[in-house]
Amino acid sequence: MSRTMLFVQRELAGSLRARWFLAYSAVFLAGGLLLATFGMGDITVYGFRGFAKAFTGLVHLALLFVPLMALFPAAAAIAEDRESGALEYVLAQPVTFGEVYAGKLGGVSLAVLLSMTLGFGAAGAVAVLRGVPPGLVAILYAFVVLLALVFVALGLCFSTIAGSRARAVTFGILVWLVLVALGTLGVMVAFVRWGLPEQLLVTWSFLNPVEAFRMGVVSALDADLSLLGPVGARVAARFGAAGTATLSGLSLAAWVALPGLIGWRLFRAHG
Amino acid sequence: MIRVGGLTKRFGMHLILDRLDLSVTKGERVALLGLNGAGKTTLMRCLLGLIPFDGSLSIAGQDVRANGREARARLGYVPQRAPHFDGSFAEMIEFFTRLRGVEPAAVESRLESLGLAPAEHGEKPVRALSGGMLQKVLLALALGADVPLLLLDEPTANLDPRARREFLRALQSVDHDTTILLASHRFADVQAVADRLLVLHGGRIAFDGSVATLRDRVGDAVTLWVKVPTDVRERARQHLESLALPAVLSNGSAIGVRVDHAARADVLVELRQRAIPVEDFWTEVPSLQDLLENVLGLGERS
Repeated sequence: MSRTMLFVQRELAGSLRARWFLAYSAVFLAGGLLLATFGMGDITVYGFRGFAKAFTGLVHLALLFVPLMALFPAAAAIAEDRESGALEYVLAQPVTFGEVYAGKLGGVSLAVLLSMTLGFGAAGAVAVLRGVPPGLVAILYAFVVLLALVFVALGLCFSTIAGSRARAVTFGILVWLVLVALGTLGVMVAFVRWGLPEQLLVTWSFLNPVEAFRMGVVSALDADLSLLGPVGARVAARFGAAGTATLSGLSLAAWVALPGLIGWRLFRAHG
Repeated sequence: MIRVGGLTKRFGMHLILDRLDLSVTKGERVALLGLNGAGKTTLMRCLLGLIPFDGSLSIAGQDVRANGREARARLGYVPQRAPHFDGSFAEMIEFFTRLRGVEPAAVESRLESLGLAPAEHGEKPVRALSGGMLQKVLLALALGADVPLLLLDEPTANLDPRARREFLRALQSVDHDTTILLASHRFADVQAVADRLLVLHGGRIAFDGSVATLRDRVGDAVTLWVKVPTDVRERARQHLESLALPAVLSNGSAIGVRVDHAARADVLVELRQRAIPVEDFWTEVPSLQDLLENVLGLGERS
Protein backbone atom coordinates (compact mmCIF):
# COMPACT_ATOMS: atom_id res chain seq x y z
CA MET A 1 0.00 0.00 0.00
CA SER A 2 1.37 3.44 -0.90
CA ARG A 3 2.15 5.95 1.80
CA THR A 4 -0.62 8.22 0.53
CA MET A 5 -3.13 5.42 0.96
CA LEU A 6 -1.90 4.89 4.50
CA PHE A 7 -2.73 8.51 5.27
CA VAL A 8 -6.08 8.18 3.51
CA GLN A 9 -6.87 5.18 5.67
CA ARG A 10 -5.79 6.91 8.86
CA GLU A 11 -7.76 10.07 8.11
CA LEU A 12 -10.84 8.07 7.16
CA ALA A 13 -10.66 6.04 10.34
CA GLY A 14 -10.16 9.20 12.42
CA SER A 15 -13.19 10.93 10.90
CA LEU A 16 -15.41 7.90 11.25
CA ARG A 17 -14.38 7.60 14.89
CA ALA A 18 -15.38 11.17 15.69
CA ARG A 19 -18.71 11.25 17.52
CA TRP A 20 -19.85 14.58 16.14
CA PHE A 21 -19.25 13.28 12.61
CA LEU A 22 -21.41 10.24 13.25
CA ALA A 23 -24.10 12.40 14.87
CA TYR A 24 -24.07 14.79 11.92
CA SER A 25 -24.35 11.87 9.49
CA ALA A 26 -27.28 10.45 11.43
CA VAL A 27 -29.11 13.81 11.44
CA PHE A 28 -28.45 14.25 7.72
CA LEU A 29 -29.72 10.75 7.03
CA ALA A 30 -32.82 11.32 9.14
CA GLY A 31 -33.50 14.75 7.58
CA GLY A 32 -33.12 13.40 4.05
CA LEU A 33 -35.35 10.43 4.76
CA LEU A 34 -38.03 12.58 6.38
CA LEU A 35 -38.05 15.03 3.50
CA ALA A 36 -38.08 12.27 0.89
CA THR A 37 -40.76 10.29 2.69
CA PHE A 38 -43.16 13.06 3.63
CA GLY A 39 -42.23 15.90 1.27
CA MET A 40 -42.47 13.75 -1.84
CA GLY A 41 -46.00 12.83 -0.87
CA ASP A 42 -47.00 16.06 -2.64
CA ILE A 43 -46.14 14.48 -5.99
CA THR A 44 -49.33 12.47 -6.07
CA VAL A 45 -51.44 15.44 -5.00
CA TYR A 46 -49.88 18.36 -6.87
CA GLY A 47 -47.90 16.61 -9.60
CA PHE A 48 -44.50 17.85 -10.71
CA ARG A 49 -44.78 21.26 -9.06
CA GLY A 50 -45.14 19.67 -5.61
CA PHE A 51 -42.26 17.34 -6.25
CA ALA A 52 -40.04 20.18 -7.39
CA LYS A 53 -40.71 22.09 -4.18
CA ALA A 54 -39.90 19.04 -2.06
CA PHE A 55 -36.81 18.42 -4.14
CA THR A 56 -35.70 22.01 -3.62
CA GLY A 57 -36.12 21.37 0.11
CA LEU A 58 -33.63 18.54 -0.25
CA VAL A 59 -31.28 20.95 -2.02
CA HIS A 60 -31.51 23.43 0.83
CA LEU A 61 -30.99 20.65 3.36
CA ALA A 62 -27.78 19.83 1.50
CA LEU A 63 -26.77 23.50 1.49
CA LEU A 64 -27.20 23.58 5.25
CA PHE A 65 -25.53 20.30 6.14
CA VAL A 66 -22.97 19.46 3.48
CA PRO A 67 -20.65 22.48 3.86
CA LEU A 68 -20.54 22.23 7.64
CA MET A 69 -20.08 18.49 7.55
CA ALA A 70 -17.17 18.86 5.14
CA LEU A 71 -15.64 21.88 6.88
CA PHE A 72 -15.27 20.40 10.36
CA PRO A 73 -13.10 17.37 9.58
CA ALA A 74 -11.17 19.18 6.84
CA ALA A 75 -10.39 22.18 9.04
CA ALA A 76 -9.19 19.82 11.76
CA ALA A 77 -7.12 17.61 9.48
CA ILE A 78 -3.89 19.59 9.51
CA ALA A 79 -4.40 22.22 12.24
CA GLU A 80 -5.26 19.64 14.91
CA ASP A 81 -2.22 17.53 14.04
CA ARG A 82 -0.07 20.64 14.13
CA GLU A 83 -1.42 21.58 17.56
CA SER A 84 -0.81 18.13 18.98
CA GLY A 85 2.68 17.86 17.50
CA ALA A 86 1.65 14.88 15.38
CA LEU A 87 2.18 16.77 12.11
CA GLU A 88 5.83 17.53 12.84
CA TYR A 89 6.43 13.92 13.82
CA VAL A 90 4.68 12.58 10.73
CA LEU A 91 6.62 14.92 8.43
CA ALA A 92 9.85 13.78 10.09
CA GLN A 93 9.21 10.32 8.61
CA PRO A 94 10.32 9.31 5.12
CA VAL A 95 7.31 10.87 3.42
CA THR A 96 6.83 13.85 1.15
CA PHE A 97 4.62 16.81 1.98
CA GLY A 98 2.57 15.94 -1.09
CA GLU A 99 1.85 12.42 0.18
CA VAL A 100 0.66 13.75 3.54
CA TYR A 101 -1.51 16.46 1.97
CA ALA A 102 -2.99 14.13 -0.65
CA GLY A 103 -3.64 11.52 2.03
CA LYS A 104 -5.48 14.00 4.22
CA LEU A 105 -7.47 15.38 1.30
CA GLY A 106 -8.37 11.88 0.15
CA GLY A 107 -9.22 10.59 3.62
CA VAL A 108 -11.46 13.49 4.62
CA SER A 109 -13.13 13.51 1.20
CA LEU A 110 -13.88 9.80 1.44
CA ALA A 111 -15.29 10.11 4.94
CA VAL A 112 -17.54 13.02 3.96
CA LEU A 113 -18.66 11.34 0.75
CA LEU A 114 -19.42 8.15 2.62
CA SER A 115 -21.68 10.05 4.97
CA MET A 116 -23.27 12.00 2.09
CA THR A 117 -23.86 8.83 0.12
CA LEU A 118 -25.52 7.24 3.11
CA GLY A 119 -27.81 10.22 3.70
CA PHE A 120 -28.57 10.98 0.08
CA GLY A 121 -28.57 7.36 -0.97
CA ALA A 122 -31.39 6.58 1.43
CA ALA A 123 -33.31 9.78 0.60
CA GLY A 124 -32.72 9.26 -3.12
CA ALA A 125 -33.92 5.67 -3.00
CA VAL A 126 -37.13 6.76 -1.28
CA ALA A 127 -37.56 9.61 -3.79
CA VAL A 128 -37.12 7.23 -6.74
CA LEU A 129 -39.62 4.80 -5.23
CA ARG A 130 -42.06 7.70 -5.01
CA GLY A 131 -41.72 8.51 -8.67
CA VAL A 132 -38.85 11.00 -8.92
CA PRO A 133 -36.80 10.38 -12.08
CA PRO A 134 -33.51 8.62 -11.14
CA GLY A 135 -31.63 11.00 -13.43
CA LEU A 136 -32.62 13.96 -11.26
CA VAL A 137 -31.50 12.17 -8.12
CA ALA A 138 -28.20 11.38 -9.83
CA ILE A 139 -27.73 15.07 -10.76
CA LEU A 140 -28.48 16.14 -7.21
CA TYR A 141 -26.02 13.55 -5.88
CA ALA A 142 -23.32 14.68 -8.31
CA PHE A 143 -23.74 18.30 -7.23
CA VAL A 144 -23.78 17.32 -3.56
CA VAL A 145 -20.48 15.50 -4.09
CA LEU A 146 -19.02 18.60 -5.76
CA LEU A 147 -20.29 20.88 -2.97
CA ALA A 148 -18.82 18.58 -0.34
CA LEU A 149 -15.46 18.53 -2.13
CA VAL A 150 -15.49 22.35 -2.39
CA PHE A 151 -15.78 22.67 1.37
CA VAL A 152 -13.29 19.88 2.03
CA ALA A 153 -10.75 21.73 -0.14
CA LEU A 154 -11.58 25.06 1.53
CA GLY A 155 -11.41 23.52 5.02
CA LEU A 156 -8.06 21.90 4.32
CA CYS A 157 -6.73 25.16 2.91
CA PHE A 158 -7.81 27.02 6.07
CA SER A 159 -6.37 24.20 8.14
CA THR A 160 -3.01 24.78 6.48
CA ILE A 161 -3.08 28.53 7.05
CA ALA A 162 -4.69 28.75 10.50
CA GLY A 163 -2.69 28.32 13.67
CA SER A 164 -5.33 26.19 15.35
CA ARG A 165 -8.25 23.94 14.59
CA ALA A 166 -10.69 26.39 16.17
CA ARG A 167 -9.43 29.21 13.99
CA ALA A 168 -9.60 27.07 10.85
CA VAL A 169 -13.19 26.04 11.61
CA THR A 170 -14.14 29.64 12.38
CA PHE A 171 -12.66 30.85 9.07
CA GLY A 172 -14.54 28.10 7.26
CA ILE A 173 -17.89 28.90 8.86
CA LEU A 174 -17.42 32.62 8.24
CA VAL A 175 -16.68 32.02 4.57
CA TRP A 176 -19.70 29.74 4.31
CA LEU A 177 -21.92 32.36 5.95
CA VAL A 178 -20.61 35.08 3.64
CA LEU A 179 -21.20 32.89 0.60
CA VAL A 180 -24.73 32.11 1.75
CA ALA A 181 -25.43 35.75 2.61
CA LEU A 182 -24.11 36.81 -0.78
CA GLY A 183 -26.41 34.32 -2.51
CA THR A 184 -29.63 35.41 -4.13
CA LEU A 185 -30.70 37.71 -1.32
CA GLY A 186 -27.39 39.56 -1.05
CA VAL A 187 -27.05 39.83 -4.79
CA MET A 188 -30.55 41.27 -5.13
CA VAL A 189 -29.92 43.81 -2.40
CA ALA A 190 -26.71 44.87 -4.13
CA PHE A 191 -28.48 45.02 -7.49
CA VAL A 192 -31.22 47.28 -6.18
CA ARG A 193 -28.98 49.39 -3.92
CA TRP A 194 -26.14 50.08 -6.35
CA GLY A 195 -27.74 49.29 -9.68
CA LEU A 196 -25.03 46.76 -10.56
CA PRO A 197 -24.88 45.55 -14.18
CA GLU A 198 -26.60 42.25 -14.90
CA GLN A 199 -23.40 40.73 -16.26
CA LEU A 200 -21.74 41.20 -12.87
CA LEU A 201 -24.64 39.55 -11.08
CA VAL A 202 -24.61 36.58 -13.42
CA THR A 203 -20.84 36.20 -13.06
CA TRP A 204 -21.05 36.45 -9.29
CA SER A 205 -23.77 33.81 -9.19
CA PHE A 206 -21.46 31.37 -10.96
CA LEU A 207 -18.44 32.37 -8.87
CA ASN A 208 -20.27 31.79 -5.58
CA PRO A 209 -20.13 28.01 -5.02
CA VAL A 210 -23.23 28.00 -2.84
CA GLU A 211 -25.25 29.80 -5.50
CA ALA A 212 -23.66 27.75 -8.29
CA PHE A 213 -24.72 24.56 -6.50
CA ARG A 214 -28.28 25.80 -6.04
CA MET A 215 -28.61 27.02 -9.62
CA GLY A 216 -27.01 23.89 -11.07
CA VAL A 217 -29.33 21.47 -9.30
CA VAL A 218 -32.54 23.49 -9.48
CA SER A 219 -32.07 24.36 -13.16
CA ALA A 220 -32.06 20.63 -13.87
CA LEU A 221 -35.67 20.62 -12.66
CA ASP A 222 -36.59 23.02 -15.43
CA ALA A 223 -37.82 25.18 -12.60
CA ASP A 224 -39.27 28.66 -12.72
CA LEU A 225 -38.69 31.92 -10.90
CA SER A 226 -40.26 30.72 -7.64
CA LEU A 227 -37.62 28.01 -7.24
CA LEU A 228 -34.61 29.48 -8.99
CA GLY A 229 -34.93 32.98 -7.63
CA PRO A 230 -34.69 36.08 -9.81
CA VAL A 231 -30.99 35.82 -10.61
CA GLY A 232 -31.13 32.05 -11.14
CA ALA A 233 -34.14 32.44 -13.42
CA ARG A 234 -32.29 35.07 -15.47
CA VAL A 235 -29.24 32.79 -15.70
CA ALA A 236 -31.37 29.79 -16.71
CA ALA A 237 -33.12 31.86 -19.36
CA ARG A 238 -29.78 32.96 -20.77
CA PHE A 239 -27.82 29.69 -20.74
CA GLY A 240 -30.59 27.09 -20.69
CA ALA A 241 -30.91 24.29 -18.12
CA ALA A 242 -27.99 22.22 -19.45
CA GLY A 243 -25.77 25.26 -19.87
CA THR A 244 -26.51 26.48 -16.35
CA ALA A 245 -25.84 23.03 -14.88
CA THR A 246 -22.59 22.70 -16.84
CA LEU A 247 -21.32 26.17 -15.90
CA SER A 248 -22.30 25.58 -12.28
CA GLY A 249 -20.50 22.24 -12.28
CA LEU A 250 -17.38 23.84 -13.77
CA SER A 251 -17.50 26.60 -11.16
CA LEU A 252 -17.71 24.04 -8.36
CA ALA A 253 -14.88 22.02 -9.89
CA ALA A 254 -12.75 25.18 -9.96
CA TRP A 255 -13.64 25.78 -6.31
CA VAL A 256 -12.33 22.30 -5.52
CA ALA A 257 -9.14 22.69 -7.53
CA LEU A 258 -8.17 26.23 -6.51
CA PRO A 259 -8.24 25.98 -2.69
CA GLY A 260 -6.84 22.46 -2.98
CA LEU A 261 -3.89 23.76 -4.97
CA ILE A 262 -3.36 26.85 -2.80
CA GLY A 263 -3.52 24.70 0.35
CA TRP A 264 -1.02 22.22 -1.07
CA ARG A 265 1.42 24.94 -2.08
CA LEU A 266 1.17 26.60 1.33
CA PHE A 267 1.58 23.26 3.06
CA ARG A 268 4.64 22.44 0.98
CA ALA A 269 6.13 25.86 1.65
CA HIS A 270 5.45 26.10 5.37
CA GLY A 271 4.40 22.68 6.63
CA MET B 1 26.81 11.48 8.74
CA ILE B 2 25.67 15.11 8.93
CA ARG B 3 27.13 17.81 6.70
CA VAL B 4 25.98 21.37 7.05
CA GLY B 5 27.41 24.13 4.86
CA GLY B 6 26.54 27.81 5.11
CA LEU B 7 23.19 27.01 6.66
CA THR B 8 21.20 30.20 7.05
CA LYS B 9 17.67 30.57 8.31
CA ARG B 10 15.67 33.73 8.84
CA PHE B 11 12.20 34.19 10.28
CA GLY B 12 11.21 37.58 8.93
CA MET B 13 13.86 40.02 10.12
CA HIS B 14 15.28 37.59 12.68
CA LEU B 15 18.41 35.74 11.69
CA ILE B 16 18.28 32.43 13.53
CA LEU B 17 21.09 30.47 11.84
CA ASP B 18 23.93 32.43 10.30
CA ARG B 19 26.07 30.60 7.70
CA LEU B 20 26.47 27.60 9.95
CA ASP B 21 29.08 25.00 9.05
CA LEU B 22 29.05 21.68 10.81
CA SER B 23 30.15 18.11 10.32
CA VAL B 24 29.21 15.11 12.44
CA THR B 25 30.84 11.76 11.72
CA LYS B 26 29.39 8.28 12.07
CA GLY B 27 28.98 7.07 15.64
CA GLU B 28 29.51 10.48 17.25
CA ARG B 29 27.30 11.46 20.18
CA VAL B 30 26.76 15.17 19.91
CA ALA B 31 24.87 17.45 22.27
CA LEU B 32 23.45 20.63 20.85
CA LEU B 33 23.31 23.35 23.48
CA GLY B 34 22.30 26.95 23.55
CA LEU B 35 20.20 29.47 25.39
CA ASN B 36 16.51 29.71 24.59
CA GLY B 37 16.07 30.95 21.04
CA ALA B 38 19.63 30.00 20.05
CA GLY B 39 18.30 28.03 17.09
CA LYS B 40 18.57 24.42 18.29
CA THR B 41 15.06 23.45 17.26
CA THR B 42 15.38 25.43 14.04
CA LEU B 43 18.53 23.47 13.17
CA MET B 44 16.67 20.21 13.94
CA ARG B 45 13.78 21.28 11.69
CA CYS B 46 16.21 22.13 8.90
CA LEU B 47 17.85 18.72 9.29
CA LEU B 48 14.42 17.13 9.03
CA GLY B 49 13.60 19.18 5.94
CA LEU B 50 10.54 20.63 7.65
CA ILE B 51 11.34 24.25 6.87
CA PRO B 52 13.02 25.95 3.92
CA PHE B 53 16.59 27.16 4.41
CA ASP B 54 19.59 28.56 2.56
CA GLY B 55 22.84 26.65 2.32
CA SER B 56 23.51 22.95 2.01
CA LEU B 57 22.53 20.12 4.27
CA SER B 58 22.98 16.38 3.85
CA ILE B 59 22.33 13.33 5.97
CA ALA B 60 24.18 10.10 5.23
CA GLY B 61 25.01 11.48 1.80
CA GLN B 62 21.41 12.44 0.99
CA ASP B 63 20.72 16.07 0.23
CA VAL B 64 17.90 17.13 2.57
CA ARG B 65 16.42 19.62 0.13
CA ALA B 66 16.57 17.49 -3.01
CA ASN B 67 16.03 14.04 -1.47
CA GLY B 68 14.18 14.84 1.73
CA ARG B 69 12.40 11.52 1.91
CA GLU B 70 15.61 9.52 1.43
CA ALA B 71 17.38 11.67 4.03
CA ARG B 72 14.57 11.15 6.54
CA ALA B 73 14.61 7.41 5.88
CA ARG B 74 18.09 7.43 7.41
CA LEU B 75 17.12 9.07 10.66
CA GLY B 76 14.87 8.54 13.63
CA TYR B 77 13.36 11.51 15.42
CA VAL B 78 12.17 11.98 18.98
CA PRO B 79 10.62 15.41 19.60
CA GLN B 80 10.41 17.37 22.83
CA ARG B 81 6.67 16.94 23.13
CA ALA B 82 5.31 13.48 22.47
CA PRO B 83 2.64 13.91 19.80
CA HIS B 84 -0.84 12.57 20.41
CA PHE B 85 -2.48 10.27 17.94
CA ASP B 86 -6.00 9.01 17.59
CA GLY B 87 -6.37 5.30 18.02
CA SER B 88 -4.70 2.66 20.09
CA PHE B 89 -1.08 1.97 20.91
CA ALA B 90 -1.12 -1.03 18.52
CA GLU B 91 -2.62 1.06 15.71
CA MET B 92 0.06 3.71 16.16
CA ILE B 93 2.82 1.10 15.96
CA GLU B 94 1.21 -0.48 12.91
CA PHE B 95 0.83 2.87 11.14
CA PHE B 96 4.41 4.01 11.63
CA THR B 97 6.00 0.63 10.91
CA ARG B 98 4.05 0.47 7.65
CA LEU B 99 4.94 4.07 6.86
CA ARG B 100 8.64 3.33 7.30
CA GLY B 101 8.46 -0.14 5.80
CA VAL B 102 9.82 -1.64 9.01
CA GLU B 103 9.06 -5.09 10.38
CA PRO B 104 6.72 -4.65 13.39
CA ALA B 105 8.69 -7.36 15.21
CA ALA B 106 11.79 -5.13 15.20
CA VAL B 107 9.90 -2.34 16.95
CA GLU B 108 8.14 -4.76 19.29
CA SER B 109 11.44 -6.20 20.49
CA ARG B 110 12.70 -2.65 21.13
CA LEU B 111 9.51 -1.91 23.03
CA GLU B 112 10.01 -5.04 25.13
CA SER B 113 13.56 -3.99 25.95
CA LEU B 114 12.23 -0.58 27.03
CA GLY B 115 9.71 -2.23 29.33
CA LEU B 116 6.68 -1.63 27.15
CA ALA B 117 5.19 -4.99 26.26
CA PRO B 118 2.95 -4.52 23.21
CA ALA B 119 0.72 -7.34 24.42
CA GLU B 120 0.09 -5.46 27.64
CA HIS B 121 -0.50 -2.00 26.17
CA GLY B 122 -1.71 -2.80 22.66
CA GLU B 123 -5.36 -1.88 23.11
CA LYS B 124 -4.74 1.22 25.23
CA PRO B 125 -5.63 4.50 23.53
CA VAL B 126 -2.49 6.50 22.75
CA ARG B 127 -3.96 9.39 24.75
CA ALA B 128 -3.94 7.20 27.85
CA LEU B 129 -0.17 6.66 27.69
CA SER B 130 2.05 8.82 29.86
CA GLY B 131 4.55 11.23 28.33
CA GLY B 132 7.42 8.96 29.35
CA MET B 133 5.81 5.92 27.75
CA LEU B 134 5.15 7.81 24.55
CA GLN B 135 8.73 9.04 24.35
CA LYS B 136 9.89 5.44 24.76
CA VAL B 137 7.51 4.37 21.98
CA LEU B 138 9.01 7.02 19.70
CA LEU B 139 12.51 5.88 20.61
CA ALA B 140 11.54 2.26 19.92
CA LEU B 141 10.11 3.28 16.54
CA ALA B 142 13.35 5.10 15.71
CA LEU B 143 15.57 2.25 16.88
CA GLY B 144 13.40 -0.42 15.28
CA ALA B 145 13.91 1.26 11.92
CA ASP B 146 17.64 0.56 12.36
CA VAL B 147 18.61 4.05 11.24
CA PRO B 148 22.18 5.36 11.38
CA LEU B 149 21.18 8.70 12.93
CA LEU B 150 18.99 9.68 15.88
CA LEU B 151 17.79 13.27 16.19
CA LEU B 152 16.55 14.00 19.69
CA ASP B 153 15.06 17.41 20.38
CA GLU B 154 14.99 17.82 24.17
CA PRO B 155 13.35 14.42 24.50
CA THR B 156 13.35 14.40 28.31
CA ALA B 157 12.10 17.95 28.80
CA ASN B 158 8.62 16.87 29.86
CA LEU B 159 9.51 13.67 31.70
CA ASP B 160 9.56 13.07 35.44
CA PRO B 161 12.93 12.10 36.98
CA ARG B 162 12.26 8.37 36.85
CA ALA B 163 11.07 8.38 33.25
CA ARG B 164 14.06 10.55 32.37
CA ARG B 165 16.50 8.09 33.92
CA GLU B 166 14.90 5.20 32.06
CA PHE B 167 14.96 7.10 28.79
CA LEU B 168 18.63 8.01 29.21
CA ARG B 169 19.48 4.41 30.10
CA ALA B 170 17.79 3.31 26.90
CA LEU B 171 19.77 5.88 24.94
CA GLN B 172 23.03 4.74 26.48
CA SER B 173 22.34 1.22 25.26
CA VAL B 174 22.02 2.33 21.64
CA ASP B 175 24.44 0.67 19.23
CA HIS B 176 27.78 2.54 19.09
CA ASP B 177 27.59 2.90 15.31
CA THR B 178 24.47 5.00 15.66
CA THR B 179 25.10 8.73 15.50
CA ILE B 180 23.15 10.81 18.01
CA LEU B 181 22.41 14.51 17.87
CA LEU B 182 20.75 15.56 21.12
CA ALA B 183 19.41 19.04 21.76
CA SER B 184 19.07 19.53 25.48
CA HIS B 185 18.91 21.98 28.35
CA ARG B 186 19.89 19.40 30.94
CA PHE B 187 23.51 18.87 31.77
CA ALA B 188 22.77 15.43 33.20
CA ASP B 189 21.35 14.35 29.83
CA VAL B 190 24.32 15.78 28.01
CA GLN B 191 26.83 14.07 30.29
CA ALA B 192 24.97 10.76 30.03
CA VAL B 193 24.83 10.71 26.26
CA ALA B 194 27.26 13.05 24.54
CA ASP B 195 30.97 13.03 23.92
CA ARG B 196 30.94 16.24 21.93
CA LEU B 197 29.23 19.52 22.67
CA LEU B 198 28.11 22.13 20.20
CA VAL B 199 27.02 25.45 21.65
CA LEU B 200 24.87 27.60 19.39
CA HIS B 201 24.82 31.32 19.96
CA GLY B 202 23.87 34.19 17.69
CA GLY B 203 23.14 31.72 14.93
CA ARG B 204 26.71 30.36 14.92
CA ILE B 205 28.67 27.71 16.75
CA ALA B 206 30.23 29.38 19.79
CA PHE B 207 31.82 26.25 21.20
CA ASP B 208 32.69 22.87 19.72
CA GLY B 209 34.45 20.39 21.98
CA SER B 210 34.11 17.80 24.71
CA VAL B 211 32.31 18.14 28.04
CA ALA B 212 35.72 18.14 29.78
CA THR B 213 36.95 20.96 27.54
CA LEU B 214 33.91 23.03 28.40
CA ARG B 215 34.46 22.42 32.11
CA ASP B 216 38.16 23.31 31.76
CA ARG B 217 37.25 26.50 30.00
CA VAL B 218 34.76 27.44 32.67
CA GLY B 219 36.99 26.31 35.51
CA ASP B 220 36.22 24.29 38.57
CA ALA B 221 34.24 26.94 40.39
CA VAL B 222 31.25 26.10 42.53
CA THR B 223 29.04 28.26 44.70
CA LEU B 224 29.43 27.62 48.44
CA TRP B 225 26.45 28.73 50.47
CA VAL B 226 26.92 29.34 54.19
CA LYS B 227 24.17 30.05 56.67
CA VAL B 228 25.24 32.21 59.60
CA PRO B 229 23.28 33.84 62.47
CA THR B 230 21.64 37.12 61.47
CA ASP B 231 23.65 39.25 63.92
CA VAL B 232 26.99 38.24 62.34
CA ARG B 233 25.88 38.08 58.72
CA GLU B 234 27.20 41.49 57.77
CA ARG B 235 30.56 40.76 59.46
CA ALA B 236 30.77 37.45 57.62
CA ARG B 237 30.00 39.12 54.32
CA GLN B 238 32.64 41.80 54.85
CA HIS B 239 35.21 39.19 55.80
CA LEU B 240 34.53 37.07 52.72
CA GLU B 241 34.82 40.12 50.52
CA SER B 242 38.12 41.02 52.19
CA LEU B 243 39.41 37.61 51.12
CA ALA B 244 38.94 38.78 47.53
CA LEU B 245 36.57 35.95 46.76
CA PRO B 246 34.59 36.78 43.66
CA ALA B 247 30.87 37.33 43.59
CA VAL B 248 29.70 37.33 47.18
CA LEU B 249 26.02 36.67 46.97
CA SER B 250 23.25 37.11 49.44
CA ASN B 251 20.23 34.92 49.41
CA GLY B 252 18.06 35.86 52.37
CA SER B 253 19.55 33.93 55.25
CA ALA B 254 22.60 32.57 53.39
CA ILE B 255 25.71 34.03 51.82
CA GLY B 256 27.12 32.52 48.69
CA VAL B 257 30.63 32.72 47.44
CA ARG B 258 32.17 31.47 44.21
CA VAL B 259 35.22 29.31 44.99
CA ASP B 260 37.21 26.51 43.46
CA HIS B 261 35.83 23.11 44.37
CA ALA B 262 38.96 22.22 46.37
CA ALA B 263 38.94 25.48 48.33
CA ARG B 264 35.53 25.06 49.94
CA ALA B 265 36.88 23.89 53.30
CA ASP B 266 39.29 26.85 53.48
CA VAL B 267 36.38 29.27 53.49
CA LEU B 268 34.69 27.44 56.34
CA VAL B 269 37.95 27.39 58.31
CA GLU B 270 38.40 31.15 57.70
CA LEU B 271 34.95 31.88 59.09
CA ARG B 272 35.53 29.66 62.11
CA GLN B 273 38.86 31.39 62.85
CA ARG B 274 36.98 34.73 62.88
CA ALA B 275 34.53 33.25 65.39
CA ILE B 276 31.69 33.36 62.91
CA PRO B 277 29.52 30.33 63.58
CA VAL B 278 28.33 28.46 60.51
CA GLU B 279 24.87 26.96 61.04
CA ASP B 280 24.74 25.20 57.72
CA PHE B 281 26.50 25.06 54.37
CA TRP B 282 25.99 23.49 50.97
CA THR B 283 27.57 23.50 47.53
CA GLU B 284 25.90 24.34 44.26
CA VAL B 285 27.56 23.08 41.10
CA PRO B 286 27.09 25.33 38.09
CA SER B 287 24.10 24.44 35.98
CA LEU B 288 24.31 23.96 32.27
CA GLN B 289 22.81 27.43 31.96
CA ASP B 290 25.66 28.82 34.11
CA LEU B 291 28.26 27.01 32.02
CA LEU B 292 26.69 28.29 28.84
CA GLU B 293 26.48 31.85 30.08
CA ASN B 294 30.09 31.61 31.14
CA VAL B 295 31.37 30.16 27.89
CA LEU B 296 29.29 32.65 25.93
CA GLY B 297 30.69 35.52 28.01
CA LEU B 298 27.27 36.62 29.18
CA GLY B 299 28.50 37.44 32.70
CA GLU B 300 28.02 35.85 36.05
CA ARG B 301 25.17 36.10 38.46
CA SER B 302 25.59 38.81 41.01
